[in-house]
Amino acid sequence: MKFEIRVRGQPQAVGAGDEALLEPLAGTECWRLVVGGRAVPVRVVEHEGRLLVTIGADRVEVGVRRALPVPSRRASAQNGADRVEVRAPMPGLVVSVPVAIGEPVRAGGAVAVVEAMKMQMEVVSPSSGCIEEIRVQPGQEVAGGQVMVLVRVPASGAGEEALP
Amino acid sequence: MPLPRRLLIANRGEIAVRIVRACRDLGVEPVAVYAPVDAGAPHVRLADDALPLPGDSPAEGYLNSPKLVELARRCGAAAIHPGYGFLSENPSFAAACEAAGIAFVGPPASVLQMCGDKAAARAAAASAGVPVLPGSGSVDDAEAPSAAEVVGFPLLIKAAGGGGGKGIHLVRSPDELPGALRLARGEAQTAFGDPRVYLERWVERPRHVEVQILADSAGGVIHLGERACSVQRRHQKLIEEAPAPGISPELRDALLRSAVRVARALGYRNAGTVEFLLDGDAFFFIEVNARLQVEHPVTEMVTGVDIVAAQLAIAGGEPIPFAQEEVRHAGWAIECRISAEDPHGGFLPSLGKIDGVIEPQGPGIRVDSGFRAGCVVSRHYDPLLSKVVAWGRDRGEAIARMRRALAEYAISGVDTTIPFHRWALEQPAFLGGAYDVRFAEEWDGTAPSQEAERLAATAAAAWLRRKAAASLMISDGHAAGPSSRWIAAAREEGLR
Repeated sequence: MKFEIRVRGQPQAVGAGDEALLEPLAGTECWRLVVGGRAVPVRVVEHEGRLLVTIGADRVEVGVRRALPVPSRRASAQNGADRVEVRAPMPGLVVSVPVAIGEPVRAGGAVAVVEAMKMQMEVVSPSSGCIEEIRVQPGQEVAGGQVMVLVRVPASGAGEEALP
Repeated sequence: MPLPRRLLIANRGEIAVRIVRACRDLGVEPVAVYAPVDAGAPHVRLADDALPLPGDSPAEGYLNSPKLVELARRCGAAAIHPGYGFLSENPSFAAACEAAGIAFVGPPASVLQMCGDKAAARAAAASAGVPVLPGSGSVDDAEAPSAAEVVGFPLLIKAAGGGGGKGIHLVRSPDELPGALRLARGEAQTAFGDPRVYLERWVERPRHVEVQILADSAGGVIHLGERACSVQRRHQKLIEEAPAPGISPELRDALLRSAVRVARALGYRNAGTVEFLLDGDAFFFIEVNARLQVEHPVTEMVTGVDIVAAQLAIAGGEPIPFAQEEVRHAGWAIECRISAEDPHGGFLPSLGKIDGVIEPQGPGIRVDSGFRAGCVVSRHYDPLLSKVVAWGRDRGEAIARMRRALAEYAISGVDTTIPFHRWALEQPAFLGGAYDVRFAEEWDGTAPSQEAERLAATAAAAWLRRKAAASLMISDGHAAGPSSRWIAAAREEGLR
């Protein structure tokens, strides 16, 4: 099985000559990387087909391409390119949904308020448009990444969904 | 009253563990309470007895005043320690304890009432000749715009019944006021059960310095020196240290004496913290935190005083166990708060199950921790997991030890603020001691070094090899030994 390792889109040469050793340190995510005569604690988390590697103060997003291509979720979502899904940034409790179906919303405008760990946060629409669907109501628990509101954006804005 | 035989701890997490430890040192039997999600947490396991609370939501659990009083009575506890947050500054709870004949380890209800009414506390400080920032009393939505014009923009909305940085919102212009008021009130209601807010002038780049005080029922008031708490994000402290770097002996002396004056003016009792903002050499009183502070260990490390033990003595009606001149300050202490937040993702709470942990140890290191492997970080509570405190003979030694401790600390299962702290401890502004409350804004976290990228790619490759090898083996075992590495390599070859 072969992997292609990419950092910021650039393939990284990690050759077979790299005498790197990865030893378990704590739990499923914390490791000790021994390479080039140094031991460095690292944390590796698999997230949506990428690896998030934390080293010291830095987090590096490592793209991994496997032998079997996995269909991109983003690509399959292109059918609804004129709709933007506003997702919950974290698990929490919906405090309020200060918008109604059919209402206009501007980019950066609040579509919901979510509370977790005693903090309330506004969930904002990434694009200007019109509220098409509201899938949550106040008092409801939401999971992180759950779609809360759909915003229909004018055709010119289609496909401009910002990366998170 | 001598020390209680049994004491109920109306809190959770690291502070409940801290209080259990003080009880052990004093020969007091600690009794824990726990919400269902906290069953098996360290504070439960370390206590002599642990009583369940009906639900995970704060209202059913650690904010459930009648239930807590009932549990204290039922288990024969003569005192309740509220820790910080939750009911620690709630006058009705203190009064309910008093009415039930249970000692509340903290100030009496009347003092909590005055400290909790931030406007009243400011007035008391001003009357004691201590400078305060321009601000309003509690305002409703209709009064807010005109009150804001008087205070001047930019301003802060603060929870009148709160503290700990919750419910604080910065407002730069009048049009931001309604939205910020709505959020601040919502947070204040949830966190403190009190939607009242007030306005206060915002200082652009202040430093935050606070003074630890102890006061007894005979009118004795002493201070235990100051702490610098300017490394903050969303008005939540991240790093604290004692003593405060970069302030003159004259300024320090003025702060310490002002803090004692404020405590006297309020008729304060028990342990508390008087908070100040420094704008250059000018200083302003902001509020009194009428409770044990999260960051109390840095003061304990440089003075050798057990603040929780002093709290118990004072709550029992005894005088402060030592005089001002007996308090000796030695060395330097720094605390890093380890929270379940993602510093690379806007410090959003990181929820999940912790599946592994290695805590730092060694010379000069103290870890106050409230979790262990298997604990669930839930959305119901503050994300603070633990505090790492480093002591050194001087600031440089404390920083070196803290760097070592943070490199040792491994937490698996949730994101934590450790990477932020490792960044902070390398910044010239922090090392020079001249940082202010905007320091943490310099953290970006999106541009890893080339060295980190190279190591990450290597780690990723090694991780994938391990995973591929593990999927073919019955057990990955402890594939650390040289022989198992040979096996792994051989299996991997077979995969090519």
